[in-house]
Amino acid sequence: MSQGPDFPEIVPTARSMSPGDFASKVFRSQSGVESRVQYGNRAFNKTLDLEYSNITEANAAAIHDHYLACKGTLSFFSLSLKTNSGNETFHINDGGGSTSNRFGANAFGLRYHYAEPPQFNSVKPGRMSVTIKLVGVLEA
Amino acid sequence: MAYFSGKDGLVSFGGNNVAKVGNWSLSTTVDALEVTDLSLSDRTFAPGLRSSTGSATIFYTDDALGAKSLLDKIVKITATSEADITTIKLGWGIKGIQSSCIITSAELNCAVGEIMQATIQFQFTGVLSLATL
Repeated sequence: MSQGPDFPEIVPTARSMSPGDFASKVFRSQSGVESRVQYGNRAFNKTLDLEYSNITEANAAAIHDHYLACKGTLSFFSLSLKTNSGNETFHINDGGGSTSNRFGANAFGLRYHYAEPPQFNSVKPGRMSVTIKLVGVLEA
Repeated sequence: MAYFSGKDGLVSFGGNNVAKVGNWSLSTTVDALEVTDLSLSDRTFAPGLRSSTGSATIFYTDDALGAKSLLDKIVKITATSEADITTIKLGWGIKGIQSSCIITSAELNCAVGEIMQATIQFQFTGVLSLATL
């Protein structure tokens, strides 16, 4: 997997994160008793949805160009500090890649990719809204 | 400093002053686009789209400079079309505001003991401009 440029330094207006799940399988007996077997020690398919409402066209263009620079959903990339701002105790931007960087991916052995192409909506001259969906996958 | 009162007001339609106007009003609003991001604790906004509407009450007369010519834009047997977009000027003293507009509603009232009058409401389209009367 190739690495793309870092995501632009733009603070989102809304953010939604799901930490993903660990690889496991459930075996259920006829009596209903379940046994769960863990197949991996790292969660994967972490999702991070970012909304940028009514941002400037320059910022929308930066997101668009970043998507192309990452060759769409192909390359992985790192988030910028501003992408994670707003919940300073949940996500501690200590720069060390620790597991307190809870919105991030690297500390969990993951790489963020675009899950799908971003959506760009025109609001008025000079203002646009952008929705992006990222997925954190385990690196090879 | 000059004050203006009702006698200074007028409504102009298609370049001609409408006779017997009882009142007019103009309302302009601007959408507030929320641009609050996750780093802020207070809601912040940017100006969005602007919209202007107006209304006028006109004492009904059946001539070209009366309410009938305005009512004909909407109360008629044929469908309304782009051709019904007209320029309305709202004035006071020697000043005024004008723009193209669509007449969005017309109400005609005729009651015992009262002069027949029409109330029209209109939606301005495009930017307003200042006019000298």
